[in-house]
Amino acid sequence: MTVASGAAGLPVEWAGVSFAYEAGADVVRNLSLRVAAGEPVALAGANGAGKTTLTRMAMGLVRPRAGRVAVGDWDVASRRPDEMARRVGYVFQHADQQLFARSVREDVGFGPRQLGRSDAEVPAVLEELALSADAEVHPYDVRAPVRKVIALAGVLAMRPAVLILDEPTAGLDRELRGRVVAALRRRRDEGITIIAISHDRAFIGEMAQRVVTMREGRIVER
Amino acid sequence: MTACVSLAAVTFTYPGVDRAALSDLSLDVAAGEIVAVAGAAGAGASTLLLVATGLAPRLIGGTLTGSRTIGARRCGIVFARPWTQLTGLCSTVRDEVAFGPASYGRPREEVLAAAARALEQLGIAHLAARDPAHLSGGELQRVVVAAALALEPDLLALDDPAAELDPDAADALYAMLPALGRAGTAILIATPDLERVGEVATRALALDRGRIVRDGAPAVVLA
Amino acid sequence: MIGYVPGHSPLHRAHPYTTLAAAGAVLFAAFAMTEPFTVWLLVLAGAVLAASGGVLRPSARTALLLSLPIWAVLFVIYALLGGEPRVVVGPLSLSAPGIARALVLGGRLTAIVLSFLTALSTTSPHRLVEAMTARGVPFGRTFLLASTLTILPRLRERAAQILEAQQCRGLRLGGSPLARVRALGPLALPLILGALAEVDEQVLALDVRGAAAGVHRTALDPPPDSAVQRALRWGLLALVLAAYAWKFVRMRG
Repeated sequence: MTVASGAAGLPVEWAGVSFAYEAGADVVRNLSLRVAAGEPVALAGANGAGKTTLTRMAMGLVRPRAGRVAVGDWDVASRRPDEMARRVGYVFQHADQQLFARSVREDVGFGPRQLGRSDAEVPAVLEELALSADAEVHPYDVRAPVRKVIALAGVLAMRPAVLILDEPTAGLDRELRGRVVAALRRRRDEGITIIAISHDRAFIGEMAQRVVTMREGRIVER
Repeated sequence: MTACVSLAAVTFTYPGVDRAALSDLSLDVAAGEIVAVAGAAGAGASTLLLVATGLAPRLIGGTLTGSRTIGARRCGIVFARPWTQLTGLCSTVRDEVAFGPASYGRPREEVLAAAARALEQLGIAHLAARDPAHLSGGELQRVVVAAALALEPDLLALDDPAAELDPDAADALYAMLPALGRAGTAILIATPDLERVGEVATRALALDRGRIVRDGAPAVVLA
Repeated sequence: MIGYVPGHSPLHRAHPYTTLAAAGAVLFAAFAMTEPFTVWLLVLAGAVLAASGGVLRPSARTALLLSLPIWAVLFVIYALLGGEPRVVVGPLSLSAPGIARALVLGGRLTAIVLSFLTALSTTSPHRLVEAMTARGVPFGRTFLLASTLTILPRLRERAAQILEAQQCRGLRLGGSPLARVRALGPLALPLILGALAEVDEQVLALDVRGAAAGVHRTALDPPPDSAVQRALRWGLLALVLAAYAWKFVRMRG
């Protein structure tokens, strides 16, 4: 079974970025990091290290108070999140929160439709993630771990050049985890840039070429 | 050893569903046992926890046949998603953890002491004055586990308790379970994290389509 | 702005029953007042209450926003379409009794909304729960009230997360009215479905933590009450009763 590849991967760069929530202390401090096009990188570190904030910057969900973020030749500061969705597929840790359509198939096709693209990719992605049997089922009639896989399918169907994943294997049993890892491995091999926040040591070992460790808003190991 | 929970030929079906979630399942869990429950999504691991703690069918409906005896005086349960387990009424971690003992009308000093002990056990005493709404998922999950322990349950059911935790916190959570077992608490853990649970469990069950297909030493069952 | 706003004002420090009694007194007294002057005195009292809580601007702004549609309807029904005698105000011919009626009804609504917004902003749900627990109120009722108070901020937070997630799937906000209506599904449905799915787990978690134990819960930090505040609450009740007595006397007279 072949899944059509998306665009080749794009580089992602954070240059001297700092960020604080409201009046609090900086959760990301003068951080610079470049992920090359097609490079699979794991972001590691304790809870509260700033990993999620860093990835949210790349999607334009938060704006750094200093520094610059770029995805390819796009300066993220001049783009809305729905525009960044054309290049970046962001899979939230609790992505199942976003499911709403009447069927799994319809929900997976939502992203491509929003981007004005064909949803021809949807059947292939459903088959790839072994969701075809549930294609006509309401997303809330399947178990929560499977909903997480559905949310990933929805992002993969958008054919992004960069994939950002927040804890993609958390809460998944061996079988579901296997489906997710296989799909991500395929994207990695196709040259799509992958940035994954993960505490799953086995997943990091299987997927990442490089591990960037953060602590208190800074990179301590790259 | 006294059985904390004893199930004999139990079949449980969720409301409105044809297929039984648990089929003709028999199980005795003794005080102090740490039982890992493994199985694919839909195998019945989470359902087993709900049935063993008496929450199903009492609170979620459905039909249960067979015989069930819960010898545990008090049960605790922890789910994978911490924010659904908060009361929403407490502005500090201390109060959130103390909620359980306070609900049973225990004297204030006793309630606060139980909460303090539980916070220490989870290594989160430093979070006592923090607002649970402002904690990370990992910190919150440890608060939830502390809240369950504050009730000093005889039977503790953990449904993928470390899903939200970073490796160090997950290791610490699993590392404290043997001490609870030695103190007499029976523990049932349903989790896909077979490596961690295999290191602390004294027994393992493998479930498939609502039935126990293997029951024995973790090294064998979880391999 | 609807929901608790942390602070240290006298209202924040007051026993929750006192703040709620003040809001309740405005509610009941409003229906005893029949003249624009007395009703708007009550609105002024509500504003003073909000000011003492340090929440006058946000409460007044929200109260006005919520009342504006009703004011518009009242103006049309009573002032424009009301009976004789009429007064000319600029290009408009308005009913004099209609204006008075609109001022009374609109003023009542404004006073009630303003005082309840003030109570909501200055009453910590946690302190209210502790106060009710200390008085022996069964947990079910406590939880019902407290959940109602906290549901909006929680839903707002959840809605923000869903909004972000859908934007990351390419959903563009704004645009034509039709586009905005189409965007409601992906935003509202996950909010409702997700909330319903989580209720099950929360019920289980609360149950095992003794929420339904049926015994008198231990209050850990009940807010201090005082003889002065108790006297104030009784005084407010007396004022409301006096207002109704006065209304009754005037009706009979």
